[in-house]
Amino acid sequence: MDSLEIFAVESAIVSEQEFYRKIIEDNLASLKLAPAIGRIKVVLRPEDSLFQMAIILRDVGTKVTTIDIADVDAKPVAGEIIILIKKEQYIPELLGKLWERYGKANISQPDRWTVAISTDRAEEEAAFLKDMMVADPRHRLHENLVDFAIRVTPEGFRVRYHLYKGNRFIFVASEEALKREWVEEAETMLEELMKGGKT
Amino acid sequence: MAVLRPYLYTGGVHKHGLLIELLEDLGGYIIQKIVTGTEVNLIMLIPEKDIQVVKKLSDELLGIMVEAPLTGVELAVVSPTLASHHLPHSACDVAEYLRHPGANTNMIGLARGMGRRVSLSTDYERKLINEHDIAVFTFGSFSDCIINKKPKLFEGIEIPIVVTGGPDLKTEDVPGADLYVGNIGRTSHRLRKTEEISALDKLNEGIGKIADNIRKQQARDPLAVIPARVMKEIENQVPEIQTVLSPAPLTLQLNGLRVKLPYDEFHERLERLEFDEGVTLSELANILRSKMKNYILIKIKSKSDIGFAI
Repeated sequence: MDSLEIFAVESAIVSEQEFYRKIIEDNLASLKLAPAIGRIKVVLRPEDSLFQMAIILRDVGTKVTTIDIADVDAKPVAGEIIILIKKEQYIPELLGKLWERYGKANISQPDRWTVAISTDRAEEEAAFLKDMMVADPRHRLHENLVDFAIRVTPEGFRVRYHLYKGNRFIFVASEEALKREWVEEAETMLEELMKGGKT
Repeated sequence: MAVLRPYLYTGGVHKHGLLIELLEDLGGYIIQKIVTGTEVNLIMLIPEKDIQVVKKLSDELLGIMVEAPLTGVELAVVSPTLASHHLPHSACDVAEYLRHPGANTNMIGLARGMGRRVSLSTDYERKLINEHDIAVFTFGSFSDCIINKKPKLFEGIEIPIVVTGGPDLKTEDVPGADLYVGNIGRTSHRLRKTEEISALDKLNEGIGKIADNIRKQQARDPLAVIPARVMKEIENQVPEIQTVLSPAPLTLQLNGLRVKLPYDEFHERLERLEFDEGVTLSELANILRSKMKNYILIKIKSKSDIGFAI
């Protein structure tokens, strides 16, 4: 599935459709979600105070461990572990985990690409660190997806329904109590998305 | 009385004092002076017949002088709420762009202004908005909401109402609005495309016209004293105003001014403020507690109210 191979926004008035398409594009860009989304369809019905969205996600990366993003060297004599960073984008998560385990006082960053940990059990700890999970893109994706849904929905629509299962995401929001058929319509939209597009 | 014209000067800090001195000699007023690094922005009122004199000096100092039609106007930019749906784009962009022609804008986020059926404004919010000269409501992209649902937020607003939104509507379509400007709807990006900028230009122009209309109405029954003169007297007689860190400690309005000093401590001193003609400010104006923080709001009475003007 290509990214954004289906990107449909439907509304009774064409110009309003364009405004919303732009809002969705901007939010996809600022949350860096575009590569993760395969197909998306949004239906707006302002007269019913209704917003419906169905998304099919693409496959996203697997869990990231320390060894994927850095080289870990144990220095038992000096009593420290040196981590040489290869991929900078995961540093915040890595540091967060390290601080939790060793305390901020035991960790130093002599430069941008190096993290030094002082510990008595360098060998064992290094072995542990190599397989430690640093980040889970799926978890991050879920957070971003929920954030995205709330950002694109008109603000007054505070009654929300969402379903996130496998690679499918449905979001329905309104100002009034949700009707069963609105959710069903969104489910139908999702099924149509499953059928359509390149496979 | 000399007719004063609003101008904005932008130039280097070097020797800009000469301009201030010249303006004092001519009987003009400095409304606001903003120094950023080596650059200075002066918003000023110049007597109409002396504009050429000031322009000549401004050219000598290699500065730029442009007319600033919204000088001395305090605007309320009202967004349905302060959530990320409306801010920073487009509400902040609108507020920022309105400052170019010299206006002072305050952003007001209603507590419960979002939605269709559920949108509300409170008494306090309406009173706060009514303290300004003109209210600019920034709405979203649905014409149905703008025409049918949102105008209930205008109830109780006594000042002119300007509405911005996405769809291209006519002013008559929006009940209660004095001006509607389209193409400034809900966005999540900075307004910088040609059509967006031209919509903002249209907004500035429209608000300029509304302000001019208010000024024309005022000319029929002039204020007892022009707000800029009150501003100058406060600067001279209440030196504490120099220590206020808020932006625009003295904010001019079309029929008064906002003084950003605590009411309880200072209102008596302002009431006793003296003019050369021998009158005090309390004779010329109502000095009120502002709804904004604990500031002081001065609303100047008209000539017909008190029987004379200075």
